[in-house]
Amino acid sequence: MNATDSLESALADLEALRASGRSALAQAQDSAALEAARVEHLGLKQGRLKTAQERLKSLEPAARRDYGRAFNEVKAELEQALEDARNRLAHATVQVEPVDVTLPGIRPRIGRLHPLTLTMTELKNIFGRLGFSVAQGPEVEDVWHNFEALNIPESHPARDPLDNFYLAAGAGIGQRAMLRSQTSTVQIRVMEKQPPPVRVIAIGRVYRPDTVDATHSFMFHQIEGLMVERGATMADLKSVLSLFAQAYLGTEVKIRFRPSFFPFTEPSVEVDMLWHGKARWVEMGGAGMVDPNVLRAVGYDPEEVSGFAFGLGVERLCMRRYGIDDIRLFYQNDVGFLRQF
Amino acid sequence: MIVSWNWLTEYVRLDMNVEELGERLTLSGLNLESISDVGGDLAIDVEVTSNRSDCLCHVGVAREIAALHGKRLAIPDPRLAEKGKPVAELTSVAVEAPELCSRFTARVVSGVKVGESPWWLRKRLETIGVRPVSNIVDVTNYVMFECGQPLHAYDLDLLEGRRLIVRRSRPGETIKAINNRVYEVGPDMLVIADAARPVGLAGVMGGAETEIRDTTRTVLIEAARFDPIAVRRASRALGLHSPSSFRFERPIDPEATMWASRRCAELILQTAGGTLHPGVIDRDATKPRSTVIRMRSNAVERVLGIPVDPVLARDILARLGLRQTAEDAESTSYEPPSWRPDLEREIDLVEEVGRVHGYDSVPQDRAIALVSTAVAPRERIEAQVRETLAALGFDEAVTYSLVEERLAAPLGAPDGPALRIEHQSRKRESYLRRAIAPSLLVARAHNEARGRGEAELFELAQVYLPRGDALPDQPPRVSLVSGRGFREMKGVVETLAARLHCAERVTARPAELELLERGRSAELWLGADLLGHVGEISSRSRAEFDLKGPCSTAELALEVLEAHARPVPLLRPPGLQPAVARDLSLVLERDRPWSELEQTVVEAAGAILEAVEYLDTFRGAGMSEAEESVHFGMIFRHLERTLTGEEVERAVEAVVAACHRRLGARLRA
Repeated sequence: MNATDSLESALADLEALRASGRSALAQAQDSAALEAARVEHLGLKQGRLKTAQERLKSLEPAARRDYGRAFNEVKAELEQALEDARNRLAHATVQVEPVDVTLPGIRPRIGRLHPLTLTMTELKNIFGRLGFSVAQGPEVEDVWHNFEALNIPESHPARDPLDNFYLAAGAGIGQRAMLRSQTSTVQIRVMEKQPPPVRVIAIGRVYRPDTVDATHSFMFHQIEGLMVERGATMADLKSVLSLFAQAYLGTEVKIRFRPSFFPFTEPSVEVDMLWHGKARWVEMGGAGMVDPNVLRAVGYDPEEVSGFAFGLGVERLCMRRYGIDDIRLFYQNDVGFLRQF
Repeated sequence: MIVSWNWLTEYVRLDMNVEELGERLTLSGLNLESISDVGGDLAIDVEVTSNRSDCLCHVGVAREIAALHGKRLAIPDPRLAEKGKPVAELTSVAVEAPELCSRFTARVVSGVKVGESPWWLRKRLETIGVRPVSNIVDVTNYVMFECGQPLHAYDLDLLEGRRLIVRRSRPGETIKAINNRVYEVGPDMLVIADAARPVGLAGVMGGAETEIRDTTRTVLIEAARFDPIAVRRASRALGLHSPSSFRFERPIDPEATMWASRRCAELILQTAGGTLHPGVIDRDATKPRSTVIRMRSNAVERVLGIPVDPVLARDILARLGLRQTAEDAESTSYEPPSWRPDLEREIDLVEEVGRVHGYDSVPQDRAIALVSTAVAPRERIEAQVRETLAALGFDEAVTYSLVEERLAAPLGAPDGPALRIEHQSRKRESYLRRAIAPSLLVARAHNEARGRGEAELFELAQVYLPRGDALPDQPPRVSLVSGRGFREMKGVVETLAARLHCAERVTARPAELELLERGRSAELWLGADLLGHVGEISSRSRAEFDLKGPCSTAELALEVLEAHARPVPLLRPPGLQPAVARDLSLVLERDRPWSELEQTVVEAAGAILEAVEYLDTFRGAGMSEAEESVHFGMIFRHLERTLTGEEVERAVEAVVAACHRRLGARLRA
């Protein structure tokens, strides 16, 4: 009567295999135990699953289909259980030390740009949006560009050697050259090179023999704007500076012109600004209509074109912006200062 | 210029309050600096621009107030009672340098009694900050601050030969000035001399030996005009600055000279008594000025951008003292008053109309035409350099371009001396630097001394390279200092070049530089262009700069970076096929530059080599004393397909063979 096996007992054994396999795999605490459980249940040669598979042959043909279906189910389930157990053990072996999350982060060092650079970049961007391109010129200039062409003749007191850094007499170019005392020199260089219309700003270092103190430096930075075209007027100048003031200081800002004197502009004005929360007008720079003599000096016809120019001190703008009260801090390059920007 | 409120009321009715007056003056060109109460009077300090010397006196400021407020100006007419001998019998004046002295007048008052000035005179001078001295001296000062014409009073009895000569100085002459200091009179300076010696530096200061003293009985009053440039040169050269020289350095109203002389005589008689002798000595070489300025009717609108009623414009100019000389359909012509030599052109008149009318009426809502702007390559490069170096941990510095001599040397071989400026305020720091790195080393030392030893700095600035008769070459540089070692600094430069998309790689050659350690410094090249230098600061230089910690520097030519940078990188296929990595350790003779090995590898490996990377060098077991083992990695990749193992093996074998053939290298066992 043992010629054929009964389906019931075969299915019952299969069910026992499922339970035993699941429990052995799930309870294995290390890879050796897991390997033992795998060999016992899923081993290719003598594993219990292999035996259960072979039992198929001892069943009556009619029972084989049901048994086969049940076998495949158990096999898939144990294989999944093995996979799960492997994953569990793989991650369990990594011992994770907890961190004190309140410790400070480890910061990568990033350098900072100089506050004067930040200010100059802001100014360039604002004037760039207003259609001004950046022009460059040399810091060591000849007296033609620094004075003569700017309507400052030889007899003018501004040319006094006490008020300027002329190169020492002697070899080479000597006293015909100097450290520029204003960025207006760049206006001349631009107009000498290109016909109107012109819309440029020049920005950079200028030099004057002021005694160094909290508000004076013998080297400082200026930004100078120039616009020359047919029919430019003081109203255009005021409009451009007003747009600038609104972009730099906010829409609440007001500007006013006070008459002044510069050899290279006429009329010449000081530009004052009054912005939200301030009680007093603050002088921001000088401006004016380009003097006809300057236009003539570069070969423009003052009857055909007119223009305006303005100049602002970068240090002054920067000091106001960041609450810096001593101009010397800019050039000491103490990282305690530099790293605040 | 400080003016007294009470004094001003002598010439113009002030029926506004002082704040109102200050505001009006500020908005029309005389900027109010301060108002202060001085014993019941008000001292009003206004800033006078260099073109408006007519306002360096009370009459001038009063004239401006009268014009601004449409008021009447009352200038006193000095009344002189003369008697005794005519002045020409008492003294004489010779002007030997009329080109430097366009007018010289002299009057004589005898029998004066020198003493304290009356209260009103002292009070007015004190209000404007001038110390009273004696009646005669106070009067000369008073009249100068009244009309802008400086005066000088001599004790005639002390003048050798009782006469004055206006001449250029003679070699070796000295003068004891009224400040009691002795000055060597420079060559070609204009002096006022008596028969024997200089008794005054024309326009600058009088002499002590002939000044008014308590015993003075006879006074010679000088009212003269000198060449402004000559006065300025003399006053600068001698370091002597006075209210007189300040006014003489600027144009003086030619009409004021004779008025001042009369006014001074009048007030001396009033305050010191005596007798005014008839007549005046007047050496007058004044060139007559006749300026007629034509102003077109559209001139104001063309400049201000708004029309100003022509009647109003004409009224403004008339109030300012301009006389209308002609008129036609398109223009009006004017003659400016004697006290306004700054008015010469149409644009000058436009400015007058504009400033008095007020710039507040100029609108600020004009549409500005759109134009397109492009960022210039230099600007773009500068921005990228700054951004990259900041990202790499460097803070930006700004150091002075004028430095002491030792900081002015270039990093490479110096070719001659640095350019220098000439100024007394910068005797030591007068050199135009040819490199930035030394200044940055000073900044690093400054930080180190303050316990901030880790200062990593960079700066973008021009250097100044002499070019004989021409303006110096002024190339922009970027310079860095750091505590990093040679390879790290070189790596910074390589990263920077890569960030700028330079087409070529940075190559290095050993260099010997003053500042840098031998064997730890190099020239850097981009293609055929010298990019700059990199290296570690030598221990000797570190001692010179007071630097304790290790320190390195790099200085690069921005123009070279700009020339090699590509503004827009063109995409190369990123290589999506799997890569194969292989390491090799080759033993070869010591001190062979890596660049030779690298080049051999690149040439031998063929097109599938994507990258070769130096890893390290080992010396020791398995090789001789003269050898070392260089360990490097190679990445192989084919752009279109997966590489086969054989292909990679063939390439590696080719590399090993080529290194053996060319460099005598062998695989490390």
